[in-house]
Amino acid sequence: MEKLITVDGLTVTYNEKPVLWNVSTSIVENSITAIVGPNGAGKSTLIKSIMGMVEPLAGDIKINGQSPKKMFDQVAYVPQKSDVDWDFPTTVLDVVLMGRYVHKGWIKRYTKADVKRAEEALETMRMSDFKHRQISELSGGQRQRVFLSRAIAQDADIYIMDEPLQGIDVVTERLIMQTIHDLQQRGKTFVVVHHNLATVEKYFDHVIILNKEVVAQGTIEEAWTKENVATAYDESSVTL
Amino acid sequence: MMDILSSFSFQIVAIGTMILAFACGVIGTINVLRQNSLIGDAIGHAQFPGVVLAFMIVGTLDALSLLIGALIFGAFAFFVIQMINQYSKISLDASLALVLSSFFGFGMTLKSYVQGSSAYGHTGGIDDYIFGQAAYMLRADVNIILIVSAISLLIFIFNYQRIKIFIFDPVYSHMIGNKPTVMNALILVMTIGLIAAGLKAVGVILIVNLLIAPGVIGLMWSKRYLYVTLIAGFSGLVSAFVGTYISTAYVGFATGPTIILCLSAIVLFSILFGTHGAVRNGLMRRRHAA
Repeated sequence: MEKLITVDGLTVTYNEKPVLWNVSTSIVENSITAIVGPNGAGKSTLIKSIMGMVEPLAGDIKINGQSPKKMFDQVAYVPQKSDVDWDFPTTVLDVVLMGRYVHKGWIKRYTKADVKRAEEALETMRMSDFKHRQISELSGGQRQRVFLSRAIAQDADIYIMDEPLQGIDVVTERLIMQTIHDLQQRGKTFVVVHHNLATVEKYFDHVIILNKEVVAQGTIEEAWTKENVATAYDESSVTL
Repeated sequence: MMDILSSFSFQIVAIGTMILAFACGVIGTINVLRQNSLIGDAIGHAQFPGVVLAFMIVGTLDALSLLIGALIFGAFAFFVIQMINQYSKISLDASLALVLSSFFGFGMTLKSYVQGSSAYGHTGGIDDYIFGQAAYMLRADVNIILIVSAISLLIFIFNYQRIKIFIFDPVYSHMIGNKPTVMNALILVMTIGLIAAGLKAVGVILIVNLLIAPGVIGLMWSKRYLYVTLIAGFSGLVSAFVGTYISTAYVGFATGPTIILCLSAIVLFSILFGTHGAVRNGLMRRRHAA
């Protein structure tokens, strides 16, 4: 399988403390890759680096052989719910339309076709009934569906998600994972920061186990072993 | 009433304050939503020494020179606030209070020096910049307000979608290619410019109200950002008209404070009775509980 994203010798520091240390890894095209590791392992920093939002101290990242900064329209991002101002006065449809932003010219006027694409994305996530709803009125699961709708509306090839299953209901979790697998069938690639060790095997085909350095990586069969997880989490007994 | 409306001095003051209040209302929604309203207050106070220094250099109260002095000190104060935040453990509110008071204190010291010294001529006009003296606005002052407001509003309109995404979801905004430093600079240029342009009309102490009050009003009536900005802009504009009218019709009402009073009355009304205000929210909550 083709390597879609390559990370080579990436070192990132924050306030002179290393967050990522000499990380070399890759994301296989059309995979659903989990990034797993303890708190402070640098998971969010790794995906932000892949999106070109962090200036690394050393190392090189290529998406399809290009610098991440040139590829931002091909990468859709689903942020952590807590990164967003939920009191901002706007509607569900408005947020999903933001996904069309990267395809617009300088003035960024959305057309009828953009609205249609946004509505289709909401339909996929079964959020059509909520399109005129104020975002502050949504539940945690609904918020996550809106974010995924925005990513779908962007028509990107790569989806990067920061803990999309954190604090949501079972129905939404199932719907999100079903949608991810459907999109994989259509050639998309997923990089997902994931916190629940119990569901890694069930939902993902590739994994990167991270603790400032890469502890293990590869397909689930190769890399997802008790020993590797124990090394990353620095514990002798970890139940998978 | 027609006498006042057709008087030239009323027209000058009304046009100046209405345009200023409209632009401040629209741009101020950004500060209100990003929850850094007090930055405007600190920048306003910090511009005062810039005004006095510009007067000391030029020797007259030339509107453009004073504007430039105010702009430089506004940007300088913001830079100092950023430095304090980056390199010390002092919280934002403490650094704002520090910068606000020390810059304003510096301005007051310069002012008393200038007014006590025989080297400078007509110094009375400097006081106008503390509390504002809209009634003495000249054509040149209105022109500056017009130009700065037009530039700010154009920046806002052309970057509307960018600004919206930046306030709502800064990480996503960065990810899709809008550098946070550029976005912050855009917002800063509009804010510092409008504050500097409005100093003579409302003064360094009250200018923050023009930025904040309309945004609060907008949020009490709408949950769509576009409408919030429009409601904010027009509540500023209407307050400026009414305030200017009252202060022209009745002796003893200063224009700036009267405008602020009108805005405050609308804020109070909106917080109580707005579609997203206290009474409605209270009723909703009770209905849900029942």
